[in-house]
Amino acid sequence: MAAADTVKEVPSFCYNCVAGPDLMTVRVENGVATRIDPCHAAETIHPGLGRVCVKAFGLVQKTYNPHRVLTPMKRTNPRKGRGEDPGFVPISWDEALDSVVARLNDIRARGLLDEAGLPRVAATFGHGGTPQSYMGSFPAFLAAWGPIDYSFGSGQGVKCTHSEHLYGEFWHRGFTVCADTVHTRYIISCGFNGEVSGGVCAVRRHADARIRGVKRVQVEPHLSATGACSAEWLPIRPKTDPAFLLSLVHTILFEHPRSALDLPFLRDRTASPYLVGPDGYYLRDADSGTPLVWDEASGAPVPFDTDGVRPILEGRAIVAEAMTRGPDEERRPYHNVEARTAFTAMADAVSGYTPEWAAKICDIPAETIRRIAREYLDAACVGETIEIDGETLPFRPVAVTLGKTVNNGWGAYECCWARTMLATLVGALEVPGGTLGTTVRINRPHENRLMSVKPGEDGFMNANFNPTGRNSWLSKPGGRNAHRTLVPIVGNGPWAQALGPTHLAWMFAKDAPKEWPQPPLPEIWFAFRTNPAISFWNTAELSQAMARMPFIVAFAYTHDETNHMADILLPDATDLESTQLIRIGGTKFVEQHWEHSGVALRAPAIPPRGEARDFTWISTELARRAGLLERYNAALNKGAAWAPLKGEGYDFSLATDEVHDVDTIWNAVCKAATAELSSGAEVRDLDWFKQHGHYVVPFKREDWYLYPTMVRLGLRFELPYQERLLRTGEELGRRLHEHDIHWWDSQLDEYVAIPQWHDVPERWAQSVRDQGGDPDDYPLWGITTKSMQYTTGNNAGIPLMNEVAGNMRGHGAVIMNAATAARLGIKAGDRVEVRSHLSVTTGRAEPVQGCRPDTVVLPGQWDHWKTPYAKDLAFPSLNTVIPMSLPLTDATGSGSDVVRVSVRKAGAR
Amino acid sequence: MTRYVMVADLRRCVGCQTCTAACKEGNGTPPGVQWRRVLDLETGTYPNVNRVFVPVGCQHCAHPPCLEVCPSTATRQRADGIVTVDYSLCIGCSYCIMACPYDARSLVGGEAGFAFGQQPTEAEAARAEGKSLGVATKCTFCAGRIDAGTARGLVPGQDPEATPLCVNNCISGALSFGDIEDAFGPVASLLAENKSFRMHQSEGTEPGFYYIWDKGTL
Repeated sequence: MAAADTVKEVPSFCYNCVAGPDLMTVRVENGVATRIDPCHAAETIHPGLGRVCVKAFGLVQKTYNPHRVLTPMKRTNPRKGRGEDPGFVPISWDEALDSVVARLNDIRARGLLDEAGLPRVAATFGHGGTPQSYMGSFPAFLAAWGPIDYSFGSGQGVKCTHSEHLYGEFWHRGFTVCADTVHTRYIISCGFNGEVSGGVCAVRRHADARIRGVKRVQVEPHLSATGACSAEWLPIRPKTDPAFLLSLVHTILFEHPRSALDLPFLRDRTASPYLVGPDGYYLRDADSGTPLVWDEASGAPVPFDTDGVRPILEGRAIVAEAMTRGPDEERRPYHNVEARTAFTAMADAVSGYTPEWAAKICDIPAETIRRIAREYLDAACVGETIEIDGETLPFRPVAVTLGKTVNNGWGAYECCWARTMLATLVGALEVPGGTLGTTVRINRPHENRLMSVKPGEDGFMNANFNPTGRNSWLSKPGGRNAHRTLVPIVGNGPWAQALGPTHLAWMFAKDAPKEWPQPPLPEIWFAFRTNPAISFWNTAELSQAMARMPFIVAFAYTHDETNHMADILLPDATDLESTQLIRIGGTKFVEQHWEHSGVALRAPAIPPRGEARDFTWISTELARRAGLLERYNAALNKGAAWAPLKGEGYDFSLATDEVHDVDTIWNAVCKAATAELSSGAEVRDLDWFKQHGHYVVPFKREDWYLYPTMVRLGLRFELPYQERLLRTGEELGRRLHEHDIHWWDSQLDEYVAIPQWHDVPERWAQSVRDQGGDPDDYPLWGITTKSMQYTTGNNAGIPLMNEVAGNMRGHGAVIMNAATAARLGIKAGDRVEVRSHLSVTTGRAEPVQGCRPDTVVLPGQWDHWKTPYAKDLAFPSLNTVIPMSLPLTDATGSGSDVVRVSVRKAGAR
Repeated sequence: MTRYVMVADLRRCVGCQTCTAACKEGNGTPPGVQWRRVLDLETGTYPNVNRVFVPVGCQHCAHPPCLEVCPSTATRQRADGIVTVDYSLCIGCSYCIMACPYDARSLVGGEAGFAFGQQPTEAEAARAEGKSLGVATKCTFCAGRIDAGTARGLVPGQDPEATPLCVNNCISGALSFGDIEDAFGPVASLLAENKSFRMHQSEGTEPGFYYIWDKGTL
């Protein structure tokens, strides 16, 4: 290969999936980006040694993709639909921006909210908040604008690890939850596919852990890459994980001595000793309203926070005088009432979940369940400690992790609770070796989950539920997915709308519940790095709803299934062409907990192709033309572009009445971010970052764990008993029924104090019946799985990804058990139809041994019909055949990538 | 005497194909040509199934069958064990492809396709030089990087600039590279401390590619 005349290496980052960001270098030869390299300078600070995963290697082809949209375009065919040619024609940036701004200004003149009180402007961004790392200063524009509806999802907020997000953050500030892989010795992984979607940090850490001797038991219907790298695979029946996990809790409680548990942790750091009354609520001191415990020393009930109290952990007692606090602040007095501790209530609730019971449901032998429970306890090291950063902390090297389809939709509450209880029983929650959260999104500050912990009610940390009181409940949704009205636990922070139930926005766009007015569609919908037309469910119907949007502004990379419905296409400069500073390190999603925190720059390796423009330039122009410049600059000064520009001892604020170019804005952000990180000691400007790429300061490993914060604040984890959820559910039910709303009743059933098994798989069979079908006609489970090459990377149109993904089994295929395939007369390579009661998708059959006989697996999200290159691959997609269904929506508003299907050779009768 | 070898720790490999992509991008190989790739293998019968990921490519054998059959002397072996192909001598006869027990060689005849069709992207145009058309190609252990690095006093397998791209980019730490004759080097230590095998040893090829594996047969 001929030597290049000029070579430069440009620092950048990859944050194409939520398991990042990771640092990298772009090699540029004679002005052409040719290669992605690791950021070797980050080897000592990045848990993944400064490397990026395979997705990032698609960025070069992505940059030079001849199918890119490289000039602004407008639609000339007013009719929208899959069958309509949009008639896109190139236009100037002036025309494009002016046409958008004309709409914006018209809206502003008429009011930012429509007649239904809903924002007239909506926006959808893709996966897990990662588009924010590529949209430059657009958040400042959005802040300057005012109310925006983020209700319309593209799968995120519903198909993510949704229940973990909500319950994990509620219980232990764990919006995402992981094993403390660096220290752990035993992991029960129910479908967590970290070797594929955990990012380079997780991959490296788990590889190191395997060498160290960790045992991971992978529980999943299909042998994933993570299963392949595990010590043991348990092929569980789909959506029966709650039975497996509840049975583990049962086995630990009923077949092992109490000495196997971390009794001090349960007594002092959880609500286990709290007394529960006959109505299911905590018995409280009649005067103070404080929950009661039974004091071993005095032999009497006392408030849990009584000095010197020695609460008993389990048992029953008669309490002479107490009260409970039920829904709507109802105080119920009790006299000489029998009480049991929350721990005992839990034991009572799981008493029937024997391994033999679970075995029949989940198809895992009872003796295996017993062995797993025994191995878990043996590895838990109850009573042992470890020194971290000079502090002595409990050492509990056991963890339970949950995968996506386990972690959303029906059954996920039970799984999240049982997983968290398995940690709690042995004191392995938020301690070294145990089960950890890594970030927060419902609480603030997002950068430091420990600081989000504030003392709340009843000895627990605070929770930010949406109100359900008579006078405080929002009876008419303020957004199109009704998150504040239907999902109290999701709160109302900046992420709440996008956390769902985002499919309801699409469903209600067609048919709103009769009790609510039909929500008008947003008058402008911004879409960036998102393609809900293929990434959500019932994609055909969703596309029809999208086609009715009156004005869509799509930041367009190539033409795709979503921007096919757009009115204006705006080509933003992509990863290798644009400038942005983002936060790195600390503790972030998945397993991104570092021993450093700081910021990293994505510097442009090459100029933008064609007429593509840096997103910050686009944002500034929109703000200027819309007359929002001062508010936009003020938002930048407040930190809308990642760092407040003014802080203690520094002030790099931008003049609010001036138009600032891209470098000026990011130069200020670079300086402010470094000043903040170094407490004013060091200030690095944009030129410095273009040379060095990143700037970090130490981050204490002790701060990976929440436990020390809970001890310092004297707080308890709100486990095992869910009094708050019980009350919330009762109140929500009353509110809904007061408004004659009964279509959310099955979701209300999920609000129980101790989760109970219900026939989760049967819900999918019933869904078929509800649609007039016969479940026996759809005898197989259709599920999906991710691949590292494609998960969230917008790589569907990148040939390199398709080529290397082809080395992995099942890529673009229908994975099925070999015996099942033989029974159906299907051979490897045959084209097969995967049919649900909704629709059909076709693909190439790939029979394997590592898949349950009753399950087929359709990897990834495909069925493209517009995206160049991808549309010619003819890959199947589960999204095509899964309905958007209210009955299949759980109380948190999420659903699962699961559907009953039949499979036959294409064309066979 | 230097003998460069690759070590793949199969306990670590997750089949992510990052090495595959890094090699393709770094070496500018055309679509369909993979000097480094990772096999996805399954053994057993449901439910007793194992799945394992195996990085493969040229094994840089001590006794390379490809060299023995090469009629043009294009295939050669360096003193450090690296097996090379001199494109200016290769006649594209494919004997070496047939002889290689590791399926490690490729030959793209005529015109190479490009990622998006018949026209190269700017990046492809910058990387492709045409000399590799109509000739046998394979993994070189990134010999150019090794040579440039050692000329600067760098150590292959330890200094990234002297190390094959697949190793530099392996995210699980499965791939290691170095001089096996350096008794105190990381590769020799890795092999001394773990069970390993080489592929198709019965062929007598003495591969320079070791697999660490502690779970019996694949």
